[in-house]
Amino acid sequence: MSPLAHTIAVRASGVDIFFGTLENQVVALQQADFEARRGELIMLVGPSGCGKTTLLSVIAGTLTPQAGTVEVFGQRLDGLGQEELTAFRRKHLGFVFQSFNLIPTLSVIENVMVPLLIQGRPYDEAHARSLAIIDKVGLKGREDGRPNALSGGQQQRVAIARALVHEPPLLICDEPTSALDKDTGGHIMELVRDLSRSPERCVVVVSHDHRIFRFADRIAEMEDGRISRVVDDPKLLDATHL
Amino acid sequence: MYRLALNMLFGDRAKLAMLLCGLAFSALLMAQQSSVFFGIMSWTYTPMVNIRAQVWVSDPMVEQVNDAKPLRDTDLGRVRSVDGVAWAAPLHTSFVQARMQDGNFKLITLVGIDADTFAGAPAILTQGRIEDLRLPDTVIVDEWGAALMGRMTVGPDGKPRSMPLKVGDTFEVNDIQARIVGICKVRRAFTGGPFVYTTYDRAKGYTLGARRTLSFMLVEPQKGVTPAELCDRIERGTGLKAWTSDTVIWNWGERSLARNTFWWFWTNTGIPFSFGTAVLLGLFVGIAISGQTFYSFVLENLKYFAAIKAMGAGMGVIARMLFVQAFTAGLIGFGLGAGMAQGIGRAMIEKGMPPFVMYPQILWATFVLVLGISFVSAIIGIIKVSRVDAASVFRG
Repeated sequence: MSPLAHTIAVRASGVDIFFGTLENQVVALQQADFEARRGELIMLVGPSGCGKTTLLSVIAGTLTPQAGTVEVFGQRLDGLGQEELTAFRRKHLGFVFQSFNLIPTLSVIENVMVPLLIQGRPYDEAHARSLAIIDKVGLKGREDGRPNALSGGQQQRVAIARALVHEPPLLICDEPTSALDKDTGGHIMELVRDLSRSPERCVVVVSHDHRIFRFADRIAEMEDGRISRVVDDPKLLDATHL
Repeated sequence: MYRLALNMLFGDRAKLAMLLCGLAFSALLMAQQSSVFFGIMSWTYTPMVNIRAQVWVSDPMVEQVNDAKPLRDTDLGRVRSVDGVAWAAPLHTSFVQARMQDGNFKLITLVGIDADTFAGAPAILTQGRIEDLRLPDTVIVDEWGAALMGRMTVGPDGKPRSMPLKVGDTFEVNDIQARIVGICKVRRAFTGGPFVYTTYDRAKGYTLGARRTLSFMLVEPQKGVTPAELCDRIERGTGLKAWTSDTVIWNWGERSLARNTFWWFWTNTGIPFSFGTAVLLGLFVGIAISGQTFYSFVLENLKYFAAIKAMGAGMGVIARMLFVQAFTAGLIGFGLGAGMAQGIGRAMIEKGMPPFVMYPQILWATFVLVLGISFVSAIIGIIKVSRVDAASVFRG
């Protein structure tokens, strides 16, 4: 085992994903290789349709590849059944979605409590932990309101609180700023970076918003269903090529 | 998660209101129609309730209490001679026309009871005394009949109004005078005619031309002899048909005349079909409205359920959430519907029409059916959510 092995959080090797029938087959991922390390914030970037979201779904265990292997924190996902994958996501993953996916009929705090309640935590404990993280994302005093009463940026803060409340080692963010203006997007990424930064946690962000590339430790660029290059210094990436 | 599931349900007031309307409407339709049905069916054996005796004896061909086939007067002696009979009294029942003082005719149920024992007399007299039936040309009329047979007068406001019959008023049956000496309180009958009580011998006079007037015999068993046992003895000893008088629908025995009457109407009339259709309609409307509303509730929340799935909730948790939501809506819907049915029932009872009998079993059956509707709705929702791909949350 290489000295770097224990620092690897996510490793996908030779992943193939095809959609549709043989006659109308769409290749989403083809021999895609990807690595993310513990303690880093890595961005998956590329033009629309290049396979970013598909690769994210594979890493998140919501999509099973037709070929290749996926390993997250030393756990092979490609051999797991649906129940095991569900349990894996429950324990190890936090999600920030493009459209927030906050349940409009629940209050802010109830939305944040969802991952803890799914884990079977007692209601009172879930409530206390959710309150603490809502405070951290700067929404103290808004916990009993409905998400629809908040601005887009505030809703995404709630989503971040929900993604981190159960302290998952892997945080998956799917276009977290695409529904936000530049300033709000910047603030949200600062929040993601500040709150999620930990030596053991890996953050994978899918985005084609070049304004937030500066928050990444590394950037993996995708093209035609595979990683075309990985840039260690985001400043070196020419956004005009994306 | 169940608390959140309930908050999700109660959070969407408009959707919840529609869901509850559907469930409450079906519960109302099922409970109300069933209660009216059993109310009407209970009217079919009203004579068994109004004319009280432990054992009824009839012609062997009689199938139900409204279908009297006259017996010979000598049959009374034969029944009295059966071992175990404490006493036996004659009973006449028939439908005859009564001519009112204003010239109108009304169909009445004439009941002739034994003048010596008054066996089969009404239990409650609101005016008069039963003994007064021994006076010449006398009858006792039921309260509802007194109102129905009342004469039209002009009120102080100049509008026509009906004056109920009272003690001392008279009418005619087959040109023979009938003078009212009492008003009684009895249950109304399916056949519609008011109950007019008189003595058995006078009833013979009112039904001129009838060769036989003994419709039934009312029999009391001796101490230690059960009605069913006495029925067996009477049938063996006389060849006549003997019946018990149980009228509690969930409790009646094989020999009950009320039971036979109930099933006779069940099999020989369109009443069960008509009301059964309404009850089924309630069930289908409930399934359609509630199923559709719950389905659209699930559809609107589909992306959130997908997100919950992606976050690691198994289908078991989501299924239980949906069951909690559906059953909670079902419980509330049942409560509202059953409450409304009770309210309508009370109003009906106060107006006296149509009959309304809400047995606890009707409520239980409605409860089970409404929960069944909720169960079907939940299953539809669960199937839909189970087919949602958790990866769909990443597609915007």
